[in-house]
Amino acid sequence: MRVRVRDVALLISGVVRRRAMERRLEGEMQFHLEMLTERNIRAGLEPAEARRVALASFGGTERYKDDARDEYRSRRLDELGRDLRYAVRVMRRNPGFTIAAALTFALGIGASTAMFSLVYGVLLRPLPYADPDRLVVLWERKLGGGNDHNVVAVPTFEAWRERARSFDGMAALVPLPATIAGAPTAERVMGAEVSAGYFRLLGVAPALGREFTVEEEQSGGANVLVLSHGFWQSHYGGERSVLGRALTVDGRTHTIIGVMPADFDPPQFAWLGDQAFWRPFGATESNRSWGRFLLVIARVRPTVPIDAARRELEAVSAHLATEVKTNEGWSVTLLGLSEQITGDVRLPLLVLLGAAGLLLLMAITNVANLTLGLVRRREHELAVRRAIGATSSRLFRQLMTQSTVVGAVGCVIGVIAAIAGVRGVLMLLPPEMPRTSSIRVDTAALLFSVVVSMIASLGVGAIAAARGGRGGAQALRQSDGRSAARLRAGALVTVEIALGLVLTVLAGLTVRTFSALRTVDLGFNADRVVMARVGLSGPRYQTPESRARFFDELLGRIRALPGVQAASAVSTRPFGGMAPATTLGDASAPPTGDSLVADVRVADASLFRTLRIPLLAGATFSARDVLDAPPRILINETMARALWPRGAIGKRARIPMYGGITPEVIGVVGDVHLMDARTPPRATVYLAATRFPSETWDVIVRANVDPNALVNSLRAAVSALDPTIPTSLVTTLDGLVARTLARDRFTAVLLGAFAVVSLLLATVGIYGVFAGDVAQRRKEIGIRVALGAPSTGVVALVMRRAMQRAMFGIALGTVGALLAARAMASLLFGVASTDPVSFIGVAVLLLVVAVVATLVPALRAARVSPLVAIRVD
Amino acid sequence: MAEKARGDVLQGTLDMLVLKTLQLGPMHGWGITERLEVGSERVLQVGQGSLYPALYRLERQGFIASDWGVTENNRQARFYKLTPAGRRRLAEERASWARLSRAVELVLQMGEA
Repeated sequence: MRVRVRDVALLISGVVRRRAMERRLEGEMQFHLEMLTERNIRAGLEPAEARRVALASFGGTERYKDDARDEYRSRRLDELGRDLRYAVRVMRRNPGFTIAAALTFALGIGASTAMFSLVYGVLLRPLPYADPDRLVVLWERKLGGGNDHNVVAVPTFEAWRERARSFDGMAALVPLPATIAGAPTAERVMGAEVSAGYFRLLGVAPALGREFTVEEEQSGGANVLVLSHGFWQSHYGGERSVLGRALTVDGRTHTIIGVMPADFDPPQFAWLGDQAFWRPFGATESNRSWGRFLLVIARVRPTVPIDAARRELEAVSAHLATEVKTNEGWSVTLLGLSEQITGDVRLPLLVLLGAAGLLLLMAITNVANLTLGLVRRREHELAVRRAIGATSSRLFRQLMTQSTVVGAVGCVIGVIAAIAGVRGVLMLLPPEMPRTSSIRVDTAALLFSVVVSMIASLGVGAIAAARGGRGGAQALRQSDGRSAARLRAGALVTVEIALGLVLTVLAGLTVRTFSALRTVDLGFNADRVVMARVGLSGPRYQTPESRARFFDELLGRIRALPGVQAASAVSTRPFGGMAPATTLGDASAPPTGDSLVADVRVADASLFRTLRIPLLAGATFSARDVLDAPPRILINETMARALWPRGAIGKRARIPMYGGITPEVIGVVGDVHLMDARTPPRATVYLAATRFPSETWDVIVRANVDPNALVNSLRAAVSALDPTIPTSLVTTLDGLVARTLARDRFTAVLLGAFAVVSLLLATVGIYGVFAGDVAQRRKEIGIRVALGAPSTGVVALVMRRAMQRAMFGIALGTVGALLAARAMASLLFGVASTDPVSFIGVAVLLLVVAVVATLVPALRAARVSPLVAIRVD
Repeated sequence: MAEKARGDVLQGTLDMLVLKTLQLGPMHGWGITERLEVGSERVLQVGQGSLYPALYRLERQGFIASDWGVTENNRQARFYKLTPAGRRRLAEERASWARLSRAVELVLQMGEA
């Protein structure tokens, strides 16, 4: 069959420009008639008579127009209509086939469209800022490895901003959890300090008011605020008069100067979460000496390649390293903002998309199987039609039309399923998944599903046509010669097994990862533990004594609450995100060798008892650790082993914090996972809360009862002490641990679901192939039985072929799964990407699936009566 | 699919004759009938009912192309012209026509010395 561009063009002109064609016909006929009339006049007739004769000889222009029209309009269009009607007829006559094929198709399209929407929304959709590709995040990078993404010191930021020419702008950000004074109680909200021009840098202007000026940035930042749309709505009811009003943040009065638009979605990365307000960040003599704590976003000039900007900044940093002592050994990392935001979830999302793709392939294979079965049943009909003159291309087109109709129905159902599926997935999403607001089934997803459906339909149609459009007369003569079809069906079985194996192995590996993560010994007991953050602010808590007194009193009151088993406080709760860390060393060794990186926590003496962290040696803090006492520390096992393997008690560490201290080690406690279950515990130092009372604490309470029942009395205890102090981030430790596992659970749940569906598809597909096969070979089997083949022999005959195919599929699938597992190795935990349990287990599982799926047809074959051999169809 | 027999010239032969008349140069429908009549010494009469469907068919098949033009009497008319494909088609048809007419002639001459 040749579809020529010309045909298509005429077809289109025939349909779309019918009016033009009518005009053309009219014009031509008119001209012809006139010429005829003129000739009659030349022959001597009166003009009127000449025209009458001409008209008569023309014999009714309408009929000619009809005929001409028929020729003009492409015949293809009529054939398409007939093929469509034919396809619908075949589908209605085979409802089983139609429903199975359309639903299978819908399953594949639905799963892949839903995953595509997810991936598109999170990874591919451009960030909602002007020219998002030019936005980059800058980090300080410690040369010689170790830390590529370190926060930035104020002087470094200032030097970059002044010296680098490749950028249109550069802004610093500092996450700012703050206490907002309000009635009836104070409230803890997340905001950020940003340098002037930050919003302009993103290309987003305030909906109301203005953003910060350079003057407001200077002298450490003026007391002005820009609010998020959400905060404006919830706290000011969306009143436009909000501009100029005062709001007390952390005890300081601020003036509201702007409100961001509703669709402004601030970049969230590192520990920069959702933000309700912004205030200007300004460099001061003080914060220039704070060390590294800034996040930096910059916009690369449109004319400068990103690489050139990176090289320039590296040169600036290299120069800086020679000028400033604290920049020695530090360079810069430049990362695209989009990559920064989505980098962590890229791989799991791509794995899920790939898995959905495999599922789609399986679904298509099954539909191809079903279609082949239908074609085989209609083989006689097709052969007859060919014998009476239907051309190959005609039959080919009919089969194509049919698979396209099935594909279209499947696509529609699939997209509906995808819309529902995306809603379900959104509920399952791990809380830290970025950009979830941009996930939806939209034009891009629809386009994806339509294109995929069309390709799939054509593929299925081609497979069917390769079978059905071929060897007509032969098929009429001998209705048993189907070795070629059998071969193809066998190949489909191999494909199903291979794809099913890949999906199930990946699911097995992620499920094992998830369970390994769940069973990690975290070093503490999270049972019935509830935590709340209490932040002090305002003039009442300027002195360390006042802060120490507040927490002493608060913990005393909480311990007295009914249902409380133990209560304690720590600077940052376990699994509570980023917290201070430092390099330190043995105080008795020369300072140049200090290279151990340790987490630093300030803890109440009872923290270890409350969280059931074992005290391995020494003792915990005591009444001796008061404000002016020499500082003492507890360390964890990892640190003890690293610095003092032969006993750490009584040794002194050198810690470059609090102006540099050399505290004595008074105790060694068990290792605790402070970040998440995945990250192995590293060296940790615990300082006494009574010695270093800070403003913000995580109160940790172990309950005898359901910890959620304590939440209200906890808040009440804080309010009773001081109603201006907010309580925030109230959560159970169990809940927090589950949160960090959410992403692994998400991947495991989805891949698990895909695997289950894939096994179902494989079972149904393999069953379909062999059921059809047995049904067709009834005569052959009948002859075998008649010649004395035992029924076990017949079963073996069917099973042997199935097993050959299955083994081949398992071999192929294992290779594929090994490659896929290696690609996602970084997502695995506690299980190797070549995990024999998963691979062998799944191979056996697939073999069982193949056996189960072929057993029924095989047993049916064994019951074939020898009489079949002599019966004629 | 059997075509309705229409016109005075054998279906199929008409296509070849139309192509032939267009080989002499672009022409409108009326002109084609005139060329056919003159060329066949008025033996062949082509009705409009056959000619226009044939023209549209040939155009759809890509053997001829058409466009509006102006006649020598300054009238608007649709002019048809041969495409390269049409030229090849004409050559093929001529060859097979030659074979056919020679065969017919041979048969008719059987037994006539």
